[in-house]
Amino acid sequence: MAAAFGGYLRCVAMFRLQGSKVLAVDMTGDAVKAKNGSMVAYDGQMAFKKMSGGGEGIRGMVTRRLTGEQMTLMEVKGHGTCWFADRASEINLVNLQGDKLFVESSNLLATDAGLRTGTSFTGLRGASQGNGLFTTTIEGHGQAAIMSDGPAVILRVSSQYPLTVDPGAYIAHQGNLRQSFQSGVTFRTFMGEGGGEAFQIRFEGDGLVYVQPSERNTIAGEV
Amino acid sequence: MSDHPGSGPVTHDPMTLPSDDNVNNYTFCVELKGSEWFLQKGKMIAYYGSMEFNGIGHGRLDRLVRTSFHSPLHAGDWVVASGSGKMLLADRAFDVNSYDLDEGNLTIRSGNLLAFQPSLALKQSIVPGFLTLIGTGKFVAASNGPVVFMEPPIRVDPQALVGWADCPSPCHHYDHGYMTGVMGGLRALTGIGGASGEEHQFEFVGAGTVLLQSSETLMAEEATGAVPQQAGVPGGGPGGHGPQSGTPRLPGQLGDLQRRFGL
Repeated sequence: MAAAFGGYLRCVAMFRLQGSKVLAVDMTGDAVKAKNGSMVAYDGQMAFKKMSGGGEGIRGMVTRRLTGEQMTLMEVKGHGTCWFADRASEINLVNLQGDKLFVESSNLLATDAGLRTGTSFTGLRGASQGNGLFTTTIEGHGQAAIMSDGPAVILRVSSQYPLTVDPGAYIAHQGNLRQSFQSGVTFRTFMGEGGGEAFQIRFEGDGLVYVQPSERNTIAGEV
Repeated sequence: MSDHPGSGPVTHDPMTLPSDDNVNNYTFCVELKGSEWFLQKGKMIAYYGSMEFNGIGHGRLDRLVRTSFHSPLHAGDWVVASGSGKMLLADRAFDVNSYDLDEGNLTIRSGNLLAFQPSLALKQSIVPGFLTLIGTGKFVAASNGPVVFMEPPIRVDPQALVGWADCPSPCHHYDHGYMTGVMGGLRALTGIGGASGEEHQFEFVGAGTVLLQSSETLMAEEATGAVPQQAGVPGGGPGGHGPQSGTPRLPGQLGDLQRRFGL
């Protein structure tokens, strides 16, 4: 079965969506990393192993603990098909070809085991999102599945089209992007006459930004 | 990221984003060309181009607000987007849709309205919790599940009602045959004997359109602002408070309850 989807002899787990809320992964002896407890069904032989600290070793574990980007991942390995889902969130597939994906650990559902994960500093953007100052990075060649509240809209950023995003709706970005933090807080904000979009993230460069049609509750929504 | 059409997810840039149309069922794209839109605070999720978001109280917007915004006391929940570019709107992953009004009027539940063009005038409805849009232009509204349009005469479930256009008579309807008399009163108050939960409906008659959402989960209500404290204004102070305001109730008189039990 896996051969039909996986093609050729490359031993890479094949990610595909079944509907928009269930991820099916076809495996032929290879492995994927997935959010702990997100398996809903499997078919064939599978082994589930908890990966402490996201499988980044002691250093990664300590970094994650310190930065608050904890994620509990498990490694799923075997032959057959495994289905993943998490609280009926919409799932978006991302194909990485050597570039880097930045995603909030809470929005990450599964990645190919061949992808490297790590943490990076986001600065003020993270603070305005209510997600902490750090974010998760995923690097390498392979597929990843990220979750969103409602289907994500993927927006391309290029040099002539910079993009501004509400921190509450941002879920991930990839490519070579610079982000800067914009604050529209003025004296009006304190008089209750704010524009309602006081904090924004501006992306410049070349890459893709994923936004969800819903906003997390952030401090920015209140001013 | 793969760029071949048909493989992988669709990516959008300012050229491929629609102008004043849906990107998907949950996201709406508004194009601004030096124009303005009113939107509810916090519903913008991303934009290309240069835009400015100002509270209604912003000085330069005075004229705009005077002509198209008429519910002064909840102005704090609205902002004006101005500039040029494309802006994406969404609301808690609910379905969003745009509607065109042509010299028309439409009344909508306050929590469902996301944004509207300033060529429309927004007013508080006399019906508490509803807003009325009058004029010509486009507005964007959210609903829990897709919206269906119905022709009056029709009776609808209160939780499924999103709004109505041009209908002269939104009123309550009770199934009196079932709910009156001693047994009916017992059923209504206790649920014993089988209350279906559908004894009360909204009734619309006359020419127009009624908008329903395909679920009975209400969206959180947005405050529409207080109305002047005046007699005769529903929800507006003395004289407006329903049956209690008439003749004082004598001891031993049960009022509505008495009437309900048919005594």
